[in-house]
Amino acid sequence: MKIIKSLKCKECGREYEIKPFHVCELCFGPLEVVYDYGVIKKGISRRDIEKRPKTMWRYKELLPIESEPQVGKNVGFTPLIRAERLGKVLGVSNLYIKNDAVNYPTLSFKDRVVSVAISKAIEFGFKIVSCASTGNLANSVAALAAEGGLESYIFIPHDLEQGKILSTLIYGAKLIGIKGSYDEVNRLCSEIAENYRWAFVNINIRPFYSEGSKTFGFEIVEQMGWKPPQHIIVPMAGGSLITKIWKGLKEFEKIGLIDEVSTKIHGAQASGSNPIVSAYKEGIDWIKPQRPKTIAKSLAIGNPADGFYALKTIRESGGSAEDVSDEEIVEAMKLLARTEGIFTETAGGVTVGVTKKLIEQGIIPKDETILIAITGNGLKTQEAVQNNVGEPLIIEPKFSDFEKIVRAKEN
Amino acid sequence: MGIRVRIPTPLKKLVGEQDVILANGKTVGEVIHWLTETYPDLKDRLKDEQGEIRRFINIYLNDEDIRFIKNLDTPVKEGDQISIIPAIAGGGAKKRRVTLTFPPERIQEPVIYNIGQRYKLITNIRSANVTENVGWVNLEIEGEEEEYLKALQYLKEIGVRVEPVEKDIIE
Repeated sequence: MKIIKSLKCKECGREYEIKPFHVCELCFGPLEVVYDYGVIKKGISRRDIEKRPKTMWRYKELLPIESEPQVGKNVGFTPLIRAERLGKVLGVSNLYIKNDAVNYPTLSFKDRVVSVAISKAIEFGFKIVSCASTGNLANSVAALAAEGGLESYIFIPHDLEQGKILSTLIYGAKLIGIKGSYDEVNRLCSEIAENYRWAFVNINIRPFYSEGSKTFGFEIVEQMGWKPPQHIIVPMAGGSLITKIWKGLKEFEKIGLIDEVSTKIHGAQASGSNPIVSAYKEGIDWIKPQRPKTIAKSLAIGNPADGFYALKTIRESGGSAEDVSDEEIVEAMKLLARTEGIFTETAGGVTVGVTKKLIEQGIIPKDETILIAITGNGLKTQEAVQNNVGEPLIIEPKFSDFEKIVRAKEN
Repeated sequence: MGIRVRIPTPLKKLVGEQDVILANGKTVGEVIHWLTETYPDLKDRLKDEQGEIRRFINIYLNDEDIRFIKNLDTPVKEGDQISIIPAIAGGGAKKRRVTLTFPPERIQEPVIYNIGQRYKLITNIRSANVTENVGWVNLEIEGEEEEYLKALQYLKEIGVRVEPVEKDIIE
């Protein structure tokens, strides 16, 4: 039976057949995949899911591909850990971390969306995949395109972190650095997408691509014993992930896998790129575009495509939104590393920093279950902390030299 | 004269392929109302059932988002320019092909050079025929819509005729 029914405009409701297409012809709203939840509900139970391999594809009925996944068969089901030591520092007793810094294969949550997007692109018959990226997406598209035997063209702002550039080029991707901001890269890509028959994962394949983010939410629920946490703190760039985590929770509710969801979803941004947080604080439902300036480059999107829906998610769930400075981001990265042994990228620093702030402000009560979404790996953004972690002590290969420094430390 | 309203590519077919429409009104809201009355097909595309401007349509007055000013109540005056821009449909710089026909008195002038120098546009001559009395050039022009419109204004002022070229004629 057909589970994926159509594409539907999130604004005016106009429906379209399934095709590589993302903007409503009538009202210019974004399109979303429509599923037959009635059919899904009958065919899936907690027990069925639990028996399946530990990857994101264990929720395949709720993903928009027709056949088996073509790439990224091992993506997902990353560790969900109880963070007692970090919790102690923050003064809370039920803190958890969902750690996509070790997602397979390119160490960020983007592998979830890209494995769906490229599998779908292969179903559509595309030979070339492409994307506009702040880095993590570039890595993931390059790697998974290589796995699928497809060519890839990747567009990034030219001043990205070296780690992200290198770990795109290694896969043989054609990498194009644009002298401009991500928002300018994105605009250029929209234009290229109109003129070339390529699968731009976050443009013409976006309705399918973004669905992959739901699995981050599905896994949280399952790994917490089918009981969603009371708070989830999510980093926001384009605003898609936060929207889809919420959608994932609501879908589990809809198909009867969990009771009514009461999770509050909180959005985190860097102060130097906070269009969604600003709109939340001003109480408006539209986004004032910004020119981002922050070390959290993976979140540096000044004109977020899903900003409106991110705001809606926050308000609907009863959550909140907050931002942190570059200094606070670095401190939070160090705090997470030094309490839990997890080296996250700048975006993770944003999420941890914002969590700390929301707890201090009393917005997140100290005795409730809190989950922090860690979405990327610190090895990719080493520049951000390079001058903040100290230096190794260099000595001669002599026991006496060693003892000298140990004693110096003791004093 | 009136208020210049720039129409985005996906809506041009509803207004007889015009890039710019001269409209009337004292506020942005009145101008939009005038537009949707004059071109009824535009109404559904710009406004929702409640008569509000659709969420993914952005409106700019002289390059400023009207939500930063007074929204639909923003006053407008002669010579102002309103742009209607879909939020996620992309756009920006694009390539166009046009035929320029020069009047005899302008044949000696470096008109194409001037377009490239004065506006942020890249020009590429695809074919041409220039004699003492008549001159035409098939030109590819790449760049932002706004710069392109300024160039068109300049060409008009000096008496150069500009016509669109169908894609297949040249190659």
